[in-house]
Amino acid sequence: MMPSAKMLPLMVAGGVVTVVVGFVLVVLIISTFSNPPFGLGNAPAQPVAFPHSVHVAENNIQCEFCHRNVTKGEAATVPAVEQCLFCHQNIDGTSDTASAIAQTEIEKVRTAFETDQPINWERVHRLPDHVRFIHEAHIRYFTDETIPVKYGINGEEIVESPDVAQTCTICHGDVGNKVEVQPKTGQSLKMGTCLDCHRENSVPTDCTVCHK
Amino acid sequence: MKLTRRNFLAWAGIGAVGAVACEGFGIRYGELDIQSPVRLPEDLVRGTDNWYASLCRVCPSCEGIVVRVMEGRAKKVQGNPFFPTNQGKSHARCESGLQALYHPDRIPSPLRRSGPRGSGQFLPVSWQPNGIDSLRSALQARGSSSVMITEPLRGHLGLLASRFASAIGGEQLGFESLDNNTYRAAVKNVFQQDNLPDFDLENSKFILSFGADFLSTWISPTRFNRGYGEFRQGEHRDRGMFYQIDSRFSMTAASADKWLPVRPGWEGHIALSLAQVIVAENLQATGVNVDALVGGAAGTQALNNFRPELVAPMAGLTSEMTGGDPVEFLKNLARSFAKTRPAVAIGGGSAGATDNGLFNLEAIYALNYLVGSVGVEGGVTLNPGSPWDNVPAAGKVGSLADWTRITEQIRSGQTKMLMLHGADPVHGLPESLRLRDAIAQAEDLFVVSFSPFLDDTSAMADLILPDRVYLEDWGDDISEPGPGYQTIGMQQPVVNPLADLDPLSFPDVLLTMAQELGKESQLPWSNFKSMLREGSDALFALNRGSIDAASADDFWNRLLQRGGWWDEKSTGPTKVQAPNGLLRSIAEKASDPEFSGIGIDSDSYYLVPFSHNTLLDGYNGHLPWLQSAPDPLTTVTWQTWVELGDSTAEKLDVKEGDIIRVESSKDSIRAVAYISPAVPPDVVSIPLGQGRQHGSDYATDRPGSESSNVMDILETTQVKGTGSLAWAGTRVRLFKTGESVSISKLEGDTRAEEIGTTPGEEIIKTIKPENH
Amino acid sequence: MVAQRVDHKWGMVVDLDRCTGCQACVVACQAENNIPINTKDYFQQRRAYEWIRIERYWEGQFPNVKAKFIPILCQHCENAPCEPVCPVFATYHNDEGMNVQIYNRCVGTRYCSVNCPYTVRFFNYWEPVWPERLRNQLNPDVTVRSRGIMEKCSFCVQRLRRGEVNVERRGLEPLTGERIPTADRKLNYRQMKEGNYLPSCVQACPTNALQFADQHDETGPVKEHFDEANEQIETREHGGHVDESHTRVYRLFEEIGTKPNVVYLKKVEPFPVEKA
Repeated sequence: MMPSAKMLPLMVAGGVVTVVVGFVLVVLIISTFSNPPFGLGNAPAQPVAFPHSVHVAENNIQCEFCHRNVTKGEAATVPAVEQCLFCHQNIDGTSDTASAIAQTEIEKVRTAFETDQPINWERVHRLPDHVRFIHEAHIRYFTDETIPVKYGINGEEIVESPDVAQTCTICHGDVGNKVEVQPKTGQSLKMGTCLDCHRENSVPTDCTVCHK
Repeated sequence: MKLTRRNFLAWAGIGAVGAVACEGFGIRYGELDIQSPVRLPEDLVRGTDNWYASLCRVCPSCEGIVVRVMEGRAKKVQGNPFFPTNQGKSHARCESGLQALYHPDRIPSPLRRSGPRGSGQFLPVSWQPNGIDSLRSALQARGSSSVMITEPLRGHLGLLASRFASAIGGEQLGFESLDNNTYRAAVKNVFQQDNLPDFDLENSKFILSFGADFLSTWISPTRFNRGYGEFRQGEHRDRGMFYQIDSRFSMTAASADKWLPVRPGWEGHIALSLAQVIVAENLQATGVNVDALVGGAAGTQALNNFRPELVAPMAGLTSEMTGGDPVEFLKNLARSFAKTRPAVAIGGGSAGATDNGLFNLEAIYALNYLVGSVGVEGGVTLNPGSPWDNVPAAGKVGSLADWTRITEQIRSGQTKMLMLHGADPVHGLPESLRLRDAIAQAEDLFVVSFSPFLDDTSAMADLILPDRVYLEDWGDDISEPGPGYQTIGMQQPVVNPLADLDPLSFPDVLLTMAQELGKESQLPWSNFKSMLREGSDALFALNRGSIDAASADDFWNRLLQRGGWWDEKSTGPTKVQAPNGLLRSIAEKASDPEFSGIGIDSDSYYLVPFSHNTLLDGYNGHLPWLQSAPDPLTTVTWQTWVELGDSTAEKLDVKEGDIIRVESSKDSIRAVAYISPAVPPDVVSIPLGQGRQHGSDYATDRPGSESSNVMDILETTQVKGTGSLAWAGTRVRLFKTGESVSISKLEGDTRAEEIGTTPGEEIIKTIKPENH
Repeated sequence: MVAQRVDHKWGMVVDLDRCTGCQACVVACQAENNIPINTKDYFQQRRAYEWIRIERYWEGQFPNVKAKFIPILCQHCENAPCEPVCPVFATYHNDEGMNVQIYNRCVGTRYCSVNCPYTVRFFNYWEPVWPERLRNQLNPDVTVRSRGIMEKCSFCVQRLRRGEVNVERRGLEPLTGERIPTADRKLNYRQMKEGNYLPSCVQACPTNALQFADQHDETGPVKEHFDEANEQIETREHGGHVDESHTRVYRLFEEIGTKPNVVYLKKVEPFPVEKA
């Protein structure tokens, strides 16, 4: 049955509205999920352009030197501004090898320290509120030499026990060579990822191990 | 496009779905922030917790706590397992200190009164110069006619407050709504002790308690609860027997094996009748010199006036209550009390709160001599004094007589300055004293409150200088009652005040004032911490006790680490000579309880108020956990209820939730009826704790019919000999108002009774002791 | 060698002869588990959240009247009626004798709370709100449950996990921080007490009416009671008769066969109220 002439514009309008709103919704959902916690390869702008590559790859600083708690407890912890100043009291970015922006960025850190202002970073790896993740436990496992074979998060076999820095790359990717931090390429960290890895390695998969 | 009904609905629907979607997919509160703090002390690491030992200051009993701190925020309070009085256990009140710390209604900065006094209108001012300068000039001009009202103070803060008051020529008094002066006087008269005793419930075989709600609110409930648990089912011992003689069916009475309802004020008579039976039947413990205790033939003569035959009808004991002849019951009770050793007699609460309260308590505690329970295991443990020469183990707490005098001084203009800390006398004293009016109308009076929260008295202040909450501040305490040996608790700041708050520590302000007023000779310390440190050094110099340290610094660190210091060898006296003719002198001062006001007639009732299990007198009524913890017996929360017996409810034609007007000769209040099978027909009970007029919404947002203060209607009768408020000495009439509300309680609408007679249907199963 | 996972079987014993109804456990639970503030409205609507609550039963009439207290919490049943009815497997039974609720899996059908004979499951009818400053107290080890989600007692699983990680995995002695030899890395009762790994209510209970430990832990206070309770179940399952008048051990509603991991000890009454 053809709709009456009166109904037709109303139906068209309804259809248009549905399409438009649907589109907007899809865009909204996608954009929400492509924010750092869910998104892939997304590197949010940070208040200080901190290059991991300079610190790790060029200057060979160990991960746990700045992320002091990573081998001790739950959180890896971002370093305190005071800790940056351990080195940057002397290193001011004026050397020949330093890039042009280094000086201004280091100045930001020094100012933060002098003015007592904490630095508010944008989180790259978001751990939902209902999940308990203990960095220390994972590093302890992967660096344990008595376990002959371990598996990474993509199921890759790890035969030789990695050191701490190598362990970090299993989940975080090659942060040490990156200028901007972003999640490991092609790798979303979701519950399935955790679970697969726990199954591969025959470690507990009881919900309460991670869920709190 | 024309808006029709249909597409309006479509749009509305789409809008709602969109809103839900956006809300649902949004990222919650702060989850995308991650902060580099400027400095990172080792104990502020994310995800790592630290436990700090400190002291609980929510109620006057001294309990050691450990506080869990994560990232600079206090998360949890638990009992300190090493601390001798509470041994790792805690009361509901201890936990709620966290809510005081992070309370939304904390006063952020000093306030100066901007409206008329009592209006509760204030303007924020700065500490320097406004707050401090106003305080200094007030102290300079009015210090010599000032009164400082504090919580009951012990330890160094007690020393500081009393010295400060005497340095400026003023007076300092501790305040408690239901003060322990009568109990203290009884302990002094019977045991000749200045320090409150401990009761070794853990090793006792028989507890005979008169009126003391010691498992809920009386003196040191956490400690008593711990002992009680062992008394019931401790290993390597038989289950103890526990009688509660009380005019109200309290939480403690509910835990007793037998509750004996008694008319308010007759507890002393019953105690003496038990003494009479023990003496007459020669049941006293071996080694007890009965003759000296009784006071010879004259004493025996005096005791004979308290034969069970005479006392039972006076105290209102009926054969239904005692399951047989009341006289026989009392005799049997005396026999089992005397034969089941060690036994302990405890008295307090409403037993000491009629005008003859001192006689009641003395008679009760004298029973302990007869059964040889003073200073022995399982009996009354006497406590030693303070390990410091000059630091008080117990501060002076004002009685009703003191408060009447001070109110009169305020009214006459003799008192020109009031300083308040940790006390809310306007809420906590009987309304008929008219303290509120006296403060409001005094023309030349300056009121300073050092409270972190607005309460009824602080609302009358001219200047409010917010104090730190105890989890942010230094302090110490001398346990009272101690565990039988010298015990010091240390309180340290476990967190800093939040950035949006600017409190200053009360003792530090006092010390600053002392410096600025030129009183260094009496108070030479620059801050309170250094004063405590001096105390620590003095303890170190004693060279004894629980801390083995090489140096004074080491000692101080360990003191803070452990949360205190104690010396198990420095016990109180284990042997006390009973005063000659003790029983005779008690019997001779006996008097019947008197009820002024309405008097005793057939349509009035005994009013037995009681401290609320978690709110106590309501000073901490702004803490939501305490408000929402159900009362153990009625399960009521957030409201003021009046407990009526079944027969009373029937007589008044009242059902649960009806608003009752409770009227004494002084005034009337309204409260919600709760009908209980356990309230005697001639008694009604109302908890303290609600009815605050100023302060946080958590304390004040209920109407007067649901939240009222029983202090408003109490007669101002004093206990003879101590001047304390005889808070159980009021008679009231009840009126149905016709209104009713939904009662906010945990239990359901039908009375929760055990159902069925077959064991499978019971929820709480019981067993006879002989089977166990 | 990474310490292998140690199997536990947790259990609680509630001694009714010790319980005085003081509410310390109730507030301790609220402080530990981020339970929303129970306002007056919540109570009036019978929607108050109390993962552990003290029920009070009257017995008799004045003057021969008694009030009895019983702490009621999730019984962590072996045959839990709440588990099979959950359409999304948000609640299940784990190997350690715990009935677990996974919040972010829950879709809020409330079937489980309907099916629970003990009424210990609580539905979030509202979004939990705290005044901004009070949020500082929230325990980061426990999720804040949003509106539309069922919640209940977890045996303070966050504390047990902390204990397992610290003692069994990392091998740290709670008080001293000393290393424990790999073979001895099993969380025992003493370590749970010293490390604050006991459930919050148990830790607070001033009369020690609540006891918690591994049911197989010889050093713990619950083993003997659970052994007896299991014996009772076995006897009944084989058609035998359990003489209830000579034992204090019982389980709540044991006749419906839920096999709780909470055991109650009967109250001892020298003067019971005569029943009609």
